[in-house]
Amino acid sequence: MSTLEVEGLTVGVTRSPTSILADVSFSVPAGKIVGLVGESGSGKTMAALTMMGLLPDGIELRSGSVRMDGRQLLDPARMTVSRESADMAMIFQHPQAALNPTMKVGRQIARVFSLQQGAGRSEAMSQSIEMLRRVGIPGAARVAGAHPHQLSGGMCQRVMIAMALACRPRILIADEPTTALDVTIQAQIFDLIRDLVAETGAGVLFITHDLAAVAEMCDSVTVLFGGQVMEEGSRDDIFRRPRHPYTTYLLDSVQKEVDPHVVEAGVDFELVGCRFGHRCDYAWEACGEVPDLVAVGEGHRSACFLHTAEVTRAGAS
Amino acid sequence: MPALLELRGLRKTFGRGRRALPAVRGVDLDVARGETVGVVGESGCGKTTLGRMVAGLTPVTDGVIRFDGSDLDGTSASRENRRRIQMVFQHPAQSLNRRMTVGAMLAEPLRLLAGAPRSETAGRIEEMLALVGLDPAFGSRRPRQLSGGQQQRVAIARALMPDPDLVVLDEPTSSLDQSLRGRMIALLRRIQEMRGVSYLFISHDLGTVRRIADRVAVMYLGRIVEIAPTRELFDDPRHPYTRALLSVAPTMDLDDVRERIVLPGETPSPTDLPTGCSFQDRCPLVFDRCRSESPVLAPVGSYRLAECFAVAPASDA
Repeated sequence: MSTLEVEGLTVGVTRSPTSILADVSFSVPAGKIVGLVGESGSGKTMAALTMMGLLPDGIELRSGSVRMDGRQLLDPARMTVSRESADMAMIFQHPQAALNPTMKVGRQIARVFSLQQGAGRSEAMSQSIEMLRRVGIPGAARVAGAHPHQLSGGMCQRVMIAMALACRPRILIADEPTTALDVTIQAQIFDLIRDLVAETGAGVLFITHDLAAVAEMCDSVTVLFGGQVMEEGSRDDIFRRPRHPYTTYLLDSVQKEVDPHVVEAGVDFELVGCRFGHRCDYAWEACGEVPDLVAVGEGHRSACFLHTAEVTRAGAS
Repeated sequence: MPALLELRGLRKTFGRGRRALPAVRGVDLDVARGETVGVVGESGCGKTTLGRMVAGLTPVTDGVIRFDGSDLDGTSASRENRRRIQMVFQHPAQSLNRRMTVGAMLAEPLRLLAGAPRSETAGRIEEMLALVGLDPAFGSRRPRQLSGGQQQRVAIARALMPDPDLVVLDEPTSSLDQSLRGRMIALLRRIQEMRGVSYLFISHDLGTVRRIADRVAVMYLGRIVEIAPTRELFDDPRHPYTRALLSVAPTMDLDDVRERIVLPGETPSPTDLPTGCSFQDRCPLVFDRCRSESPVLAPVGSYRLAECFAVAPASDA
């Protein structure tokens, strides 16, 4: 049973025909870590913000559905996702920026217990300290009395995770949770996230541009480019049997020698059809339209005309 | 022939008295002509301070920087040495002048440092843009009209403009998407082949350093704890810190079966270092001697050194 199902998410700039996310679907099953991977501008953070009902001004949700165990979370009147019952919590890339700089961290976590469970002040605080202990903070009682600027980046990320856990989420959205951290601290945070999944059975949407982190952490992967889903599959599918030209390009760009004089083109949001079209070695006339995601294996889907028109193309060339 | 750059007992302490912060605590390092030496380490290890001292941007507290046989004292380097040592910074958007065109930015070092005649300027700018893979039309653009990758190409072009012998690159790829990093590395290598320039390549990203460096120095708390040719270091790390660092760096290789060594705790504060080895509180190999004496770099094979009593028995203070 899938816990979280996102379907046909389309997000755009207000009063502009351009879409930042076009018909994006993915699901996060309980107890699994799902990677949402893409370059800057691929829309991965927008997808997370949409699910948290945190879209910035000027960006609007146009259509889509976000369901938790079959229950619709999207309010069609306001076109926003309601986070009722706090089933989802999010941790951010820059924990120091995401925490309240004027409030001691213990109090910030305690507020979650007060607001959600109506716990009294001292009860909430002792739960807060317990939560800090659970995420592996030594001297939790002392750290609870510190302000965010007195703590290291790794420590702040633990505090963020403790705060997210205080909500008892069934889905944890982790947006580049370790990009700002050193590798030895990243290893500790990865272990922590894995332990939480094992312990609480929460599903994790793990957003990153770092393919190695995906290979290390995720059970399955959705590859985004220019707001479109290019390919999705199990970790093995994506890393061992990639089918979409963009996925191949992404893997090659990290692993193989590349031509230094090819200048990066970025994403062209004006482009009609497949957004990877203008960068794709295989692009042809058909790519002026958006290809459907088609099954290329069990649980493995890819959006490229190469899969549907292989015969036609072979005949033409 | 002596190395192009020789660092001997280099130290930098910020502040004084009880709040003195020793950022670099005695570094010996050579960079040969045409060589790339990678300096890796986590935040606060002193790698950026080291690079800034070499580039003459941070005054040296103690020790010697010898460049092409003559001593630099860090602050009053001659115009000629300033021309011969250039630097590229992590954030191109911040290190480029927002108000100047790319062409003006490239002309400035040529005029100020290289004393090139005005008649040659336009031709040299065009040549340089071509070298970094940019169209001549970029000469009239301003930084905000460029993508991050293009900005970093301009920053590299600017550093190369006065025809330096050594370029200090401080995290030149860290602000770029992973898919662009490979291209930037290939570009830097191509330039090195063509111009014979040396690089001091500073990064926390082990994967990137592995792809460009001839030798790698690993820093921890202001000291080099291990230095070795790149292949040897990655294939067979000796220092317990290097081993842990490499073991937890995520990899895309799904068949990778390395044993992960997750270090406990965080890097201690440089203002409050323990007696003896500074890695003792996180080290899996720690024994009595490490708590009373400080190890120094000692041979652990041909052309490689490590600073550890457990793996380099000769590391007597």
